[in-house]
Amino acid sequence: MNGSRAFLRNLNQERIVFIVAVLIFGAAVIGLPGFLTAANLISIVRSIAVLGILALGMSVVIIGRGIDLSMVAVMAMSVAWYLQLLGDGMPDHMALALVLGGVLVIGFINGFLVAYAEVPAIFVTLASGAFVFGYVRSQLIPSDAVAVPSGHWVELLGGVRYLGIPIEVFLFLALAGAMFVFLRFTKWGRYVYYAGDNPVAARNMGIPVRPMLVLRYVLAAVTAFLAGLLTAASLHSINTRVVNSTLLYDIVLVAVIGGIGLSGGKGGVRNVLVGAALIGIMLNAMTIIDISLLYQNLIKSTILLFAIIVDGLLNPRDEQTAQQGDI
Amino acid sequence: MDPTVRPIVKMEQITKAYRSVPAVKDVDFDLHEGEIHALLGENGAGKSTLTKVMAGVVEATSGHMSYLGKPVQFATPHEALQAGIAMVFQETSLVPSMTVAQNLYLGSEKFLNRLRGIYISAQQFLQSLNFPVDPAAMVEALGAAKRQMVEIARAVHHEARVIIFDEPTATLTPEEKRHFFALLRRLKARGVSIVFISHALEEALMISDRITILRDGELVATGPTADFDREKIIAAMVGRTLSGELYSKRDVTHLRKPGRKVLSVQDISMGAMVRNTSFSVFEGQITGVFGLIGSGRTEMFKIVAGIYKRDFLRGGAIDIDDRPVRYYTPTQAVRDGIAYVTEDRKSEGIFETMSIGENLFGGFLAAGREQGLVIKSRTIRDLAEEWTGRLNIKTINADARVVELSGGNQQKVVIGKGLIQKPRMVIFDEPTRGVDVAAIAEIHQIIKDLADQGLAVVMISSYLPEIMNLSDRILVCRQGRIVEELSPVEATEEKIMYAAVH
Repeated sequence: MNGSRAFLRNLNQERIVFIVAVLIFGAAVIGLPGFLTAANLISIVRSIAVLGILALGMSVVIIGRGIDLSMVAVMAMSVAWYLQLLGDGMPDHMALALVLGGVLVIGFINGFLVAYAEVPAIFVTLASGAFVFGYVRSQLIPSDAVAVPSGHWVELLGGVRYLGIPIEVFLFLALAGAMFVFLRFTKWGRYVYYAGDNPVAARNMGIPVRPMLVLRYVLAAVTAFLAGLLTAASLHSINTRVVNSTLLYDIVLVAVIGGIGLSGGKGGVRNVLVGAALIGIMLNAMTIIDISLLYQNLIKSTILLFAIIVDGLLNPRDEQTAQQGDI
Repeated sequence: MDPTVRPIVKMEQITKAYRSVPAVKDVDFDLHEGEIHALLGENGAGKSTLTKVMAGVVEATSGHMSYLGKPVQFATPHEALQAGIAMVFQETSLVPSMTVAQNLYLGSEKFLNRLRGIYISAQQFLQSLNFPVDPAAMVEALGAAKRQMVEIARAVHHEARVIIFDEPTATLTPEEKRHFFALLRRLKARGVSIVFISHALEEALMISDRITILRDGELVATGPTADFDREKIIAAMVGRTLSGELYSKRDVTHLRKPGRKVLSVQDISMGAMVRNTSFSVFEGQITGVFGLIGSGRTEMFKIVAGIYKRDFLRGGAIDIDDRPVRYYTPTQAVRDGIAYVTEDRKSEGIFETMSIGENLFGGFLAAGREQGLVIKSRTIRDLAEEWTGRLNIKTINADARVVELSGGNQQKVVIGKGLIQKPRMVIFDEPTRGVDVAAIAEIHQIIKDLADQGLAVVMISSYLPEIMNLSDRILVCRQGRIVEELSPVEATEEKIMYAAVH
């Protein structure tokens, strides 16, 4: 049949994942009592919001053929330091400026080392993440968790709701919208795709590939900081132990499973939304079924592995240039 | 034929086509036992392809090959190596981070390998070949000549009876070359048969027993070396039959006059690839640049386009419109109106996942020609429409991804990506490589039109008819420098080739 063939041809990863998400959602609605309640749905979107924001930042880097493993460390440590400074009595605007400055510097150093020193992104960001965690934890904050000072705007932010939906959901959607506009309609956003698809060709054509690389890592660091603020807002504190959790893998999982190829140049905000939806629904369902955290991690890691294998098959990094042969 | 010499390899009617374009056509070739056989021809004549078929690197489209009297067909280089045919590549295939000894035994290790054991046997083996190489040295620390020795030792170690050398002397110093030739003679004395591919005619005349010359994938001459001399070889290499319509004799009375001098290069150098060379490019004409592989022709112009950086000290000077420039990124060159159309469109030309329109738009964007703050998909569509029409890019629809196009149409996209930047100088590097005949004519027309419109056009090519047919002046490049400038009035294929080979 013509129709079904056209359907199969258009069946890319994004659509498959979307269908799977809908199926899981349907199964959960039927099979799990208490899943389809307003409170639970809100808790799903709320859990996706922070993860989704982090995945947005990660995606911009991945589309440009990089990866940022320092995001979770930047997220937790920047906010922890910020709250600590507030607790120590520093004026809010000064503390914010100082922390934001630190975040920008980390993003800049990541980008600089990847772009100009040409160190592989995975090592640069692994090291910078570990450094950020170690330095802030040992030098700047005295304990693992830092509480939000009572009455501070971050605490108030956590309580804001509109139509019963927590504010971070709207912030996530707004950020997704902004990222969509950036990637699709601005010159710098377009450069991300050219550099991700073929960095050599992009450079030869006159695109400032290296400065743009730096920009992307700075962008990722800033999104991480925002995600950290939202985490602190909903929990009234930030626990730096999150750096050693599986959150980082969840971020990569959301991006990759949504169809953002690790080989670069592919995907967009829609993929992040789809990936975040699937992961959010799945995690929630697993929690309701009361699968233990150990098994949840096992399931997630299996899915991530599977997604990366599928990604490798769908988006091979080298299209067998070697097979062409010279004449 | 002398009945005492038997062919160790006999190839009959070998044809190899890449995407239905034949690289070699119906070639008969035989290699006698214990001879050094030089295989000569221009770039793209099919030398590498023929030997790759012999060594199992590529499979012949048709034809027969027999080895030691038995018909064979090698599916992989490994099979050929097992049988005793080894190929020493232009780019060495050693593992740089391993020691010489480890490389020697690579692929033939026992399950348990004692390092000391292989060092001792490697030492003995290298000594038996009279190679002064330390088996414990890292390959990455070795010079080109010693690496080659390791490659050769590896071939001998596998008891290869046939060794194919693809451009072995290109990277060697004169001293190293002498050692290399001595080695070839020693191998020959051991009964090894050798195929020697080279651009250096003198070397071929000096070392070889027989010579075979290919041209455009066909065998044009073969015979004992004593029957050849330099002039005869060059005549055979370039004497062309297939030219036909596409490369009809050019009317040299209507050369384009040089306009303003756009580019002036004085004494630029870059490492060992570009050595102290000077040249100029003028508006309104096509400057053809001829050079063989490794002559530095691409590197020179990549420096001009800001892709490579010339040496910081004693790197020479480049003037664009009498204004000295030193580019650190291609962005600066693009802003100055220089577009470079790459010879390697797959790895540095096209954006594979993107449509024709997005590819073209990339050039537009990079040149800073997008004025609006917001990019409209309409602009991309319009550009795609305009340029597919202008360059006659044949496609099912404008949303087609570039990978889905034929080589010729991909090349037109790459050209369009450059032209959309409104350059004043366009550098075409091998503009018709891997392009079908119909598209070649169209691309040539595009190049001519650009020159007629007053742009400065540079066309780098290793295909002589292309150079002869399009250029208004011809620069010949050899060993990292422009060695000769010829006018098409006086130039002949023989003269150009004479300047290009050493």
